[in-house]
Amino acid sequence: MKCDKEIVSLMHKYLDEEITEQERKILKKHLSYCEACNKHMSELKKSIAFVQSSSHIEAPENLTELVMSQLPEQKRSVNWKR
Amino acid sequence: METLIKRIIIDVKKGDQEAFAELVELYKDKVYQISYRMVGNVHEAQDIAQESFLRAYVNIDTYDVNRKFSTWLFRIVTNLSIDRLRKKKPDFYLEQHIEGTEGLTLSSQIAATEELPEDQVITHELQHWIQEEILNLPLKYRSAIILKYIEDLSLKEISEILDIPVATVKTRIHRGREALRKKLSSK
Repeated sequence: MKCDKEIVSLMHKYLDEEITEQERKILKKHLSYCEACNKHMSELKKSIAFVQSSSHIEAPENLTELVMSQLPEQKRSVNWKR
Repeated sequence: METLIKRIIIDVKKGDQEAFAELVELYKDKVYQISYRMVGNVHEAQDIAQESFLRAYVNIDTYDVNRKFSTWLFRIVTNLSIDRLRKKKPDFYLEQHIEGTEGLTLSSQIAATEELPEDQVITHELQHWIQEEILNLPLKYRSAIILKYIEDLSLKEISEILDIPVATVKTRIHRGREALRKKLSSK
């Protein structure tokens, strides 16, 4: 069974933490009896958790040195003017 | 933090290169994280990260110190990543997935946590899978999802970085979530 687009839109509002109290009640009630939407909701939550479980990545150690070695000469000369 | 950044930037604007090194140190991980998640290749990601900082340095005079520096910087890195991807041949993405060494390089750069070897293998595979699914997202959704769920930024900040209205950011995140959901539930 295909549910109203409105319900899916409420799910996204819920996930964006922008749902109103009244909308929250409508969503909650709908999810209590609609298995398809319940599944949809839990899959959305899982998708978010999935992306959020990505590891924190660190930049290569020498990145700062590399960047600094590539800075244009032009601005360097400003230093001694001070 | 913001006051500290402001002070450093004022020094950079005066031409202090050491101050710029401090800025790079402070932001390099976040910048690299965005470029890596966007392009999925460590060499490209490093290249983009370097280029982003160089552009930030060269254009520092156009940066308004009263605005958030990270927003300005993340806009540079996001745009450079998107430009880079648009210039690529479509098969670039496919190559990424087949290439076996990519994950190895990635895992060596992921901060090591105290885990048993078996868990490490699982983590490695999971991480590889996550990155693959992120790369499968259309560019528009990918940037929004990365900024929202990996960088943990607000919708307003994302809208400033991507230079699109908040409503559009929401739409992209909604579609990105639906795209991920469809991919994950079909597995």
